[in-house]
Amino acid sequence: MSSNTNTVCHSSSSSQVEFQPERSFDDQKMRHYLEGQVSVLHCHHYATLFTQLACDAESMDGIRHLTEATTEALQPVLSGYYKKNAVNDISDRISIAEQYWSFIGMGQVKLEFEDKTGHASMSHSHIDEGWIKKWGQRKEPVNFVGQGYIKAAWAAIFDNDPAGCRVTEDKSIVCGDSSSEFTVNW
Amino acid sequence: MAINRDKVIKDMSKIQVKGNSEGLIPAFGVMVNQMPAGFWNGFSNRIMSAAGDDLQDAAEGLLENAAAECGYHTGYGIITSEEFNSVVGPMISEESQAEDVLHGAYGVFTAWGWAKSEIVELIPGEKMVVRAYDYYEADSPSTKGNCSYMIKGVSRAFMDLAYSKTYPDGHGKYKCEQTKGIENGDAYGEFVVTIDDE
Repeated sequence: MSSNTNTVCHSSSSSQVEFQPERSFDDQKMRHYLEGQVSVLHCHHYATLFTQLACDAESMDGIRHLTEATTEALQPVLSGYYKKNAVNDISDRISIAEQYWSFIGMGQVKLEFEDKTGHASMSHSHIDEGWIKKWGQRKEPVNFVGQGYIKAAWAAIFDNDPAGCRVTEDKSIVCGDSSSEFTVNW
Repeated sequence: MAINRDKVIKDMSKIQVKGNSEGLIPAFGVMVNQMPAGFWNGFSNRIMSAAGDDLQDAAEGLLENAAAECGYHTGYGIITSEEFNSVVGPMISEESQAEDVLHGAYGVFTAWGWAKSEIVELIPGEKMVVRAYDYYEADSPSTKGNCSYMIKGVSRAFMDLAYSKTYPDGHGKYKCEQTKGIENGDAYGEFVVTIDDE
């Protein structure tokens, strides 16, 4: 994303912060926790079938539900991490959001934000690569979970309401592009 | 039973994963992720609410099927993995191989936080009853009765792996009915797997 002299571009490029995951296991309830949230391992079959369900459930607004469920689940994780570890610098917050996404196996994302717009680029994506592995390429994007996460990250990084953010996927690994590219507006 | 369930849980619960340099977790023949349970519950609840009475059965079926495919493919990857073979393998006897693998699989199912569950009745090839004493799907109080679609799907998939045709041709022989649910006020969840005659 280009920037001019009047526009501040926030990215993780100047950050040296390292994501320090807090993990625990409750051996009575047999539950794993990551950053205070119950965490479970699931596979690309499950994730892509949820995505397929969301696409099929057009009359139920399935895609919106999938995106919003992602935002609702992940924004508190990032916000909680920032608060607990006193991560206040925007570059550091962006870096943590990028590292967390990779840590949980969802892919590789780079985030950039200017005054009113932003950009996200995924060079790897659990959803896209899982979809290709299961069904092959697709003409339309499928990474609604990724869109929800970008919203969650934006909201957590800037302490905003995610409802004020729109994310569109312009290029997509599942469509054959080398990376998935997203535009963020608010 | 030859399976030392406590040891399986203790050993397998120590396994921790994280994304590689590409942010992906290739393991057990699939790619895994460790999203918060709240995400899976959140979408399931939203879609069930949106489905209403008319589409409830269809939505339930799709959610259960997603778990069944997950359980079938990932389950196969788990029971053929180095980790499973090193921990559970020595406990498996030749005379009851399928049953031991099933009991071991529920040890892993428990250890990895899907559900604190065990098999309480098993008629080889015919019927299995599983009880779950704690599971993340019960975290959202149900307004639609029992709604542990993940455990239902995975349980029938595990029976497919144990008693149906050799992987990957054996998916779909069994069905699962949830007869009790913590989310519905019961003390535990109960899941009955039998042959699907339909």
